[in-house]
Amino acid sequence: MIKILKSIKALLEGLFTVVKHLFKKSVTLQYPEERPVLPERFRGGHTLNGCIGCGICRQVCPCNAITIKKVEKKVTSYTINLRQCMFCGNCQYYCPVGAIKMGNNFEPATDCNNDLLKELVTNNESEADK
Amino acid sequence: MSRMKLNLGPQHPSTHGVLRLILDVDGEKISGCEPVIGYLHRGMEKMAEGMTYLQYLPTVDRIDYLSGFFNSFAYVSAVEKLLKLEIPERASIIRVLLMELNRIASHLLWLGTYLLDLGAVSPFFYTFRERELILNYFEKISGQRMMYNYFVFGGVRHDIEFLNEIAPMVKTIVEKLGDYEKLLTDNPIFISRTKNTGILSREEALAYSITGPNLRASNSHLDFRSQSDLYKNFEFKIAKADEGDCFARYKVRLDEIRESSKIIYQAVDFLAATTGDVNTGLKPLNLKIDHGEAFADVETPRGLTTCCIKSDGTDKPYRVKWRTGSFYAVQILPKLLIGNMISDVMAIYGSLDVMLPEVDR
Repeated sequence: MIKILKSIKALLEGLFTVVKHLFKKSVTLQYPEERPVLPERFRGGHTLNGCIGCGICRQVCPCNAITIKKVEKKVTSYTINLRQCMFCGNCQYYCPVGAIKMGNNFEPATDCNNDLLKELVTNNESEADK
Repeated sequence: MSRMKLNLGPQHPSTHGVLRLILDVDGEKISGCEPVIGYLHRGMEKMAEGMTYLQYLPTVDRIDYLSGFFNSFAYVSAVEKLLKLEIPERASIIRVLLMELNRIASHLLWLGTYLLDLGAVSPFFYTFRERELILNYFEKISGQRMMYNYFVFGGVRHDIEFLNEIAPMVKTIVEKLGDYEKLLTDNPIFISRTKNTGILSREEALAYSITGPNLRASNSHLDFRSQSDLYKNFEFKIAKADEGDCFARYKVRLDEIRESSKIIYQAVDFLAATTGDVNTGLKPLNLKIDHGEAFADVETPRGLTTCCIKSDGTDKPYRVKWRTGSFYAVQILPKLLIGNMISDVMAIYGSLDVMLPEVDR
């Protein structure tokens, strides 16, 4: 008898705990409408600024996602294959001049394969290097 | 009369991964069990032989993605032993702090999903809400929620930040544990499903090399934290229970969260009072390691994880071997399941906290 009463008490206590949560503030983020606030160190899609073409990022990359082409010590093409990239952040951490930065883009999904082959050197940049 | 073979998995929502169990059932009773593993084999050990030491570092987080810091730590400290590298004290305290936070996050996830397997849905939401606090903190300091890649050879990447946020966060989580206990510890349904099911004796557990909370629930004191140099400055008790059933494993994990919180408070106090280097500044490009062999072990939420590295003078490891706790927990499964009902399978399997990526590597 005492055992049954104890069980009922425990069940009611549990029910009370659950009901209490009904009146608390919601913690869910309504994702596509509300955007998450990303921290400063978030590792998302890459940006490149002032690359010297030393090739260290290619060397430390665990999945060979980076291709660098140089013509006479000048970077003409810098490609990151996001299909292979695992966003480990090694390229950013070991870059000697802080050229490659990982940004806030966490939605690389696309319907075209070639969109994931990111070309990071633009013509404007190579002109600025001169 | 009604003997038959029952196939469970590999795609089963309660196995939390891809484990296949071939059960011999006699009516409702289980008379035989054969676990089939290997569906999640990614070749983590072989992969290391084709990568440099530095390239392999981000991939070790994936061995057990719920406790990435522990795997990183095992690999990084094995390499440090090969290099005979002394790491700064502040870096090792930061490592302890992050690993204990990770242990809490991992146990909270276990609690939520285990109760989901048993049919209780609300605790799942509560534990995930609390776990979110820790993951958000990890995202702030390392850049990602689960694949941290924060430890480097000779320390950690950056100095710790947002230190004042940790103590209030851990305090909320420990307070919320009271809520879970109100829901569960006296709940007659939970008790009747977990008490006296899947009893694992101490001798059996030791004979099968079970480690971690599963062993400590079977009346054993074995915790590798108490023997390691890393934890020698911290005061904490070893959570332990005597019964060896599913309920004891639940109790041990809840107690471990409380003990981890004590370590975290001490680590935060130490870090707030001191300053210093957090890594040795080693630039491990073209890192070549002489002939040698080293292993490092760490007590993860799922048992003892050991990383053994053999180097041969080149920039790539000759062989990397991982010993993980979950593999041994799957091994004991036939012993525990035989004689129980079909409905107990998930209650017993879930209580062992098996992580399938860690089993298959």
